[in-house]
Amino acid sequence: MTKNRIPLGPFHPLLEEAEYFELQIEGETVVDLDMEIGWMHRGHEYISEQKNFTQSIYLVERICGICSTSHPIACVRAIEDIDNLEIPIRAKYIRSLVGELERIHSHLLWLGLAGHFIGYDTVWMWAWKYRETVLEMMEIISGNRNHYGMMRVGGVGKDVKPKDIPDLLDKLDMIDEKMEMIAKVANDDPVLKARLKGVGVLSHEQAINYCATGPTSRASGVPGDVRRDDPHDAYGMLDFDVITAENGDVYDKLVVRVLEILESSKIIRQCLDKLSEVEGPILNNVEEISPGEGIGRYEAPRGEVFHYIRSDGSNRPVRHKVRAPSYVNIPTYEASCKGISVSDALITLASVDPCYCCTERSLKIRSDSEEKPDLLELSKQKTERIRREYNGN
Amino acid sequence: MSKVDEFRDKFKDVISQEIEKKGRYYFNITNENLRTIARYLFEEMGCRLSTATGTEMEDHLQIIYHFSHDKTGQYFCPRVVIKDKDNPQVDSIVPIVMGAKWIERELFDFWGIKFKDHPDMRRLLALNHPAKLDKPMRYKEEQYDQE
Repeated sequence: MTKNRIPLGPFHPLLEEAEYFELQIEGETVVDLDMEIGWMHRGHEYISEQKNFTQSIYLVERICGICSTSHPIACVRAIEDIDNLEIPIRAKYIRSLVGELERIHSHLLWLGLAGHFIGYDTVWMWAWKYRETVLEMMEIISGNRNHYGMMRVGGVGKDVKPKDIPDLLDKLDMIDEKMEMIAKVANDDPVLKARLKGVGVLSHEQAINYCATGPTSRASGVPGDVRRDDPHDAYGMLDFDVITAENGDVYDKLVVRVLEILESSKIIRQCLDKLSEVEGPILNNVEEISPGEGIGRYEAPRGEVFHYIRSDGSNRPVRHKVRAPSYVNIPTYEASCKGISVSDALITLASVDPCYCCTERSLKIRSDSEEKPDLLELSKQKTERIRREYNGN
Repeated sequence: MSKVDEFRDKFKDVISQEIEKKGRYYFNITNENLRTIARYLFEEMGCRLSTATGTEMEDHLQIIYHFSHDKTGQYFCPRVVIKDKDNPQVDSIVPIVMGAKWIERELFDFWGIKFKDHPDMRRLLALNHPAKLDKPMRYKEEQYDQE
């Protein structure tokens, strides 16, 4: 049988990484995959080494528009790790609060796009509608809908006002209610199960071997979570569960993310409770950073964000290394994409939560004689077929 | 006995210049012992390779591997010092940890470090750079500025 090649990518200007996938297909089956990155030349590490520590935090906030508080948390933790600095207790709760709100909005964004890719456009519209509420909560807390500018070395920049807490709790109630509904849909809908179960499987061994992190590895039964393993900020004082699943397919990745939203909401409630009780400063004065090296990490919505900073005692980092979670999660496509059907390729590529613009830019499949529909269309058609089978027509 | 003590006992002959902080353990090793240590950390202890950092110092290049022991939240960071800055070469750990594939390609890209036995030793981030660079991206940048 002739092998065809489908190029996906390479340009998607939203994230730090531009990706290019070349799927080799035999009939309808993906037999091999080639990946390339390297169209984005942003030089964040180099620029950070020309800035002082405070400016670096604002710079890393702009690495990713979605993880825009995970990078600053990892960065300030790396700087604090050099001198083992402690931060005020109120600042700890605020950091965790902002981090968890970000997790909810990122997972909702993923959920919406995943719904769109398999032809559940209602899920797309609903998830993004609920995400708006999270952005409003962010605006109440930080004044910004994105790029919150909250993190400082030694604490946080803005306090949560007690008068805002009832409003935040009301909004959180709404999110909880809607998430329970979505969790129920994921559990009950036979079409969704038939469409996503057994698709794009990443086995337990593969997840360990590729060093995958976040929901990508937790859906394969690897229980790593920085919030529990290396407790920092308020996480050591909060009660929450690490969600894992066993099968490593796209359905499990969906379930892990939906249940994580409910866990995040639990954490936010505890943080808001504590913030209405605990008083005190939100920022310690840090005058200088000693020479040395520090590692900071944070469990971003997509997995572990890693920052390494080396200081020579001056006011700027001499080496600043950044590793985003997609960097270790994207190579798992090598394992999860082989053997799947071409109509499942889009949702499998989307399942680790990489950048989405690239998938929307997927080129049209053409053979010599006839024009075929694009990948998004193929994916939607498969869902429609399954839906018709279940409805009996 | 903590994991760090256990590790130190086992490898006390091959590690030097240790720095131990809360949850972080940095130590120097030589290239000959890299694979043994990586194998022990990854296979025996069940550590995950977070990433590896390359740094250019005045008279040498160094790679710090960041192995995270997720059960205890402890970082093990073996540091390999490369004296030969003009022709840096290190053993690849991809045969042990598949996840190191892109990490080592990035080090090759940035500092020109060649990894022995790496299955796909191409550039990574500058693979599609429009200028078609013939030098590592960051290595010896001071000299480039002077030119």
